[in-house]
Amino acid sequence: MQDRISFHDQIKRNKIKSVLLIFIIFAVLIALSYVIGMIYSGYFFFILIIGIIFSLSYTLISYYSSDKIALASVRAKPADYNQYRQLHNIVEGLCLASGMPKPKVYIMPGEQINAFATGRNPQNSVICVTEGALKKLTKQELEGVIGHELSHIANYDIRFMTLTAVMVGMIAIVSELFLRSLWFKGNDDNKKSGAILLLIGILLAILAPIVVQLVQFAISRKREYYADASAVKFTRSPTGLIQALKKIKRDSEKLKVSGAVAPLFISSPFKRLSNLTSTHPPLDERIRILERM
Amino acid sequence: MSTLLWVILVLIALVIILFIYYYNKFVNLGNRIDNSLAQIDVQLRKRADLVPNLIETVKGYAKHEKSIITEVTNARKALLAAPTIEGKMKAGNQLQSALKSIFAIAENYPQLKANENFLHLQQELSAIEDKVAYSRQFYNDNILDFNNGTKTFPGNVFASIFGQKERQYLQIPEEARVVPKVSF
Repeated sequence: MQDRISFHDQIKRNKIKSVLLIFIIFAVLIALSYVIGMIYSGYFFFILIIGIIFSLSYTLISYYSSDKIALASVRAKPADYNQYRQLHNIVEGLCLASGMPKPKVYIMPGEQINAFATGRNPQNSVICVTEGALKKLTKQELEGVIGHELSHIANYDIRFMTLTAVMVGMIAIVSELFLRSLWFKGNDDNKKSGAILLLIGILLAILAPIVVQLVQFAISRKREYYADASAVKFTRSPTGLIQALKKIKRDSEKLKVSGAVAPLFISSPFKRLSNLTSTHPPLDERIRILERM
Repeated sequence: MSTLLWVILVLIALVIILFIYYYNKFVNLGNRIDNSLAQIDVQLRKRADLVPNLIETVKGYAKHEKSIITEVTNARKALLAAPTIEGKMKAGNQLQSALKSIFAIAENYPQLKANENFLHLQQELSAIEDKVAYSRQFYNDNILDFNNGTKTFPGNVFASIFGQKERQYLQIPEEARVVPKVSF
């Protein structure tokens, strides 16, 4: 009972956070276009209107297609039902164990053992594993990994995490474009207020992605522990996941993915990251907790 | 006077809300149990559907293993004929252990073991075994939720009012725990 209550709490929290995220990003975008409009004051209303239209469509596209954007960015392809029969069977079995609809199953290129889940709700969800994971993991280990990902789907982590990934990624790009465009703007504007706005603009462009990134770091660590625990509940044994995490730890392969989608994965795709800024809790800690179960 | 009236009204409203809440809770939990039971049935049926195909393949290579083949066929018939889920589960377990003997026998027939169709069926049947176990596990999880709901306070009060009794877990029958004996 306790478990189920916290599960529901987790879902509610994720839904609220997703709505908050959308509104914050929307507000940041509007603020950005306002500031940009002030700098290029001749086109203020034009820039502001374009900014509003862009922000609206950007938010809508993020909500409905963030999973497709994430999948496309890692070059994932649907897993053929007959060719990857075992993978499909594992997903189907664990869906029976958790009472969830079957997500779509995707494969992404790359020798590193890794996997992620994305989508906006359990009815529209995707599980994606790397070719390396299929090759190097046994059935039991794969079950642990898939169980972990299914838990992300079940408690709506996927909605919040994918939205964060895609929205953060886009802010980074927009801010970068803005900063670059400043280099080409001449020094003929001597007004003091112009200089101040310029400063605010630069500050915003630098701060926006950092702030969202920090929020993202803070949230994804707890989620991983929680998903590990749920995986054990679904598979009734921590052994598979423990073995899989140990193999991931020994794995020296690198995975080329955008930094924005990194937090989606079961373990960080980049191997050398400091503990402080890492999107994932250390593998040793996760293994230690699982071994106590 | 009017304050007392308000207090009574609020209390009545509270009780009505509690009634609705617990009534819906038990209906929802009960539906989840029924639904997960149906899932077990689906998996058992899928297993039964694969058997004729397997028998045909085995017959092509190991004709004289008659007793084991009849055992599988009979278990399948019993599974399809069983009226209750308990009967189906029991027959399903018998079928599973009979199938295990078939796969054990296959070790003696290298050609059968190399047959692509046989390998495919073997993989599918073992996947279905997993799925039967998983859907049974989900069923028992739902029973646990339901029983917790009927036992904890104040749910137990409403459970007795609505006539909701504690439900039985699905037991794994003895046969399933015994490793099938294969004589050569």
